[in-house]
Amino acid sequence: MRRLPVYILIDTSGSMQGEPIEAVKVGLADMVAALRQDPYALETVCISIITYDNEVKQILPLTPLEDLQLPEITTPESGATNTGAALKMLCDKYDSEVNRGSSEQKGDWMPLLFVMTDGKPSDIMDYKNIVPVVKSHAFTNIVACAAGPKAKTEHLKQLTDNVVSLDTMDSKTFRKFFQWVSLQVIGGGKSIGTTSSIELPKPPAEVNIVI
Amino acid sequence: MMEKILEIIKKLSGEVSQNLIDKFLSETVSKIWKEYIMDIETVIKNKVDSLKIAIPNASVKKEYKVEVPFDVADVSGYSIDGLEDTGLTLDKNDSGFVISGTPTKSGTFPLTIKYDYDGILLGRHLERKVDLIINPDPRDLWKNLPVPEGIEYPKPDEDKDYVKVVATDGTQRKDIVAASKRGRSHAQEGKPRDDDFKLFHSEENDWYIIAVADGAGSAKYSRKGSQIACDTVIEHCKTQLSNSEQFESAITSLNQNQEDTAARKLVGDHIYNIVGTAAFKAHKAIDDEADKKGVASKLYATTLLLAIAKKFEFGWFVATFWVGDGAICLYTEDNNGENPEAVLLGIPDEGEYAGQTRFLTMPEIFKNSTALYQRLRFRIVKDFTALMLMTDGVSDPWFETDSNLNNPEKWRNFYKEIQDNKEHPVNLEDDNEKAKDELLDWLDFWSPGNHDDRTIAILY
Repeated sequence: MRRLPVYILIDTSGSMQGEPIEAVKVGLADMVAALRQDPYALETVCISIITYDNEVKQILPLTPLEDLQLPEITTPESGATNTGAALKMLCDKYDSEVNRGSSEQKGDWMPLLFVMTDGKPSDIMDYKNIVPVVKSHAFTNIVACAAGPKAKTEHLKQLTDNVVSLDTMDSKTFRKFFQWVSLQVIGGGKSIGTTSSIELPKPPAEVNIVI
Repeated sequence: MMEKILEIIKKLSGEVSQNLIDKFLSETVSKIWKEYIMDIETVIKNKVDSLKIAIPNASVKKEYKVEVPFDVADVSGYSIDGLEDTGLTLDKNDSGFVISGTPTKSGTFPLTIKYDYDGILLGRHLERKVDLIINPDPRDLWKNLPVPEGIEYPKPDEDKDYVKVVATDGTQRKDIVAASKRGRSHAQEGKPRDDDFKLFHSEENDWYIIAVADGAGSAKYSRKGSQIACDTVIEHCKTQLSNSEQFESAITSLNQNQEDTAARKLVGDHIYNIVGTAAFKAHKAIDDEADKKGVASKLYATTLLLAIAKKFEFGWFVATFWVGDGAICLYTEDNNGENPEAVLLGIPDEGEYAGQTRFLTMPEIFKNSTALYQRLRFRIVKDFTALMLMTDGVSDPWFETDSNLNNPEKWRNFYKEIQDNKEHPVNLEDDNEKAKDELLDWLDFWSPGNHDDRTIAILY
């Protein structure tokens, strides 16, 4: 069975506490509900969620949409944004969870990666070191999202050309963002091979493309 | 106890009326009692809330049964609301409850567990909420949207053909049946079919030619690419084989001495000129079309599976060219459907990830004669049951891996499945022209996650 693995990295540093994280939860729940209504996604999409603050946790191991139940997301009072460590865990999980094709095993679709942050990496050295490792893993697309006025885009630019920003962190904005993510996920399980990456769908007004 | 209380009150306030004392007792006791109950509530609520209640997701039309432990000390009774519209039922047992049945409705259903504390009437129930998620049945979600009118390179959503080769001297002769159908993933988005096929049989010299092609889903004009590929190779082979005496005598002499390397090379050269060149011409024809349109030829990316076959006195000769995924299999079983033999005539091009393959449009396929030779195969066999060519829309769901594609048992099951399918069996009897309709219906089979265009051609 061909699976489409989708990795979602969510910043849970102290600044995300309160409305922002609640908005993210609503957005995620909406996204999952929307994906469940797409027959192709329902049969192929697998989602993993990794949260990162001082600590990095894979709160949802790669799980088929059919079986998926969104876990509780918590944020500490304060603390660092260990984006580098989160990407490290992502690479480890990719290596252990994504099926590569072989004569005995059907390969998965190339995974999609979404990284969301409202700040900048605190572990800047780790971050710099891990970016090339992430890039050595094949993704159909990596989309990085800088949420809110304090989010920095320059580090994300090192990771991917697809950086978007959100002006605000309310539930309407996150909802739009995750709707846009769902569109990409639904488009993700398509034949590739001719082009290296799939064109992103047009973002909604709330999501700005960072050039 | 009571006397003690009166004594304390007398000490503090002197003589007090009975009325006041009664009032005091009633108010004090109920105040303390309420606090006490509140504490109990908090404790029991924490207990129940921290209880891990895992209810796995259900799916519409799929039988479901889950046993949920719910056994908290001091909880005397409970009920669960929220299953009313789901088609599921609840049964309580000693250790918890069982939700079972076959869901009829999808969605997220908030279940409310209402429970009571042992021995004390709280006058209301305590509650814990848990979500039950019921997935829709993907089969109910597929849409069959028509392709918008006026698109470039329109193509019908399905195609079928039957090449009936009738007996001339009483012995049955093999026929070709083929069918092609737009995949559900394309139907869902109103996109056209990208697969294609074309069949030919020459009454003059009895050569069979079969071409099957799978246009890449991500390439804009791949539906035209697959069509050009099939048309071009059939046309080239047809022309080449119309004058095939030399080729046929080379095959005959090779058959007489299979170890003869010169004879083998001669046959190889002919195949190169006929089958190999056909593929190259198809590559060129696609380039020309792309030039005419002023776009890159990769927009026409397509796979190609091509076979030519002919019956000789000594048996069958089959030659093939294959680029991309899918499968070409020369399948043989005995009259009882036993002792299966399956020869894969080529190697499927598959990458590390699903959907990665090579295409006819890639220059590397024709970069030199060795590269091309590697994609050519031929076989001389006494007889065979079926020569099957199919796109990955068919081979993926039934075989999944290379290892299975090389497993004769899997091919036996596959060939049986086509003929014995419960809903849409295909009667592969000689000269049964209806087989093309049956095969087209058979292509509707369900396989989770496999909804690509499907095309299969069978020479049998």
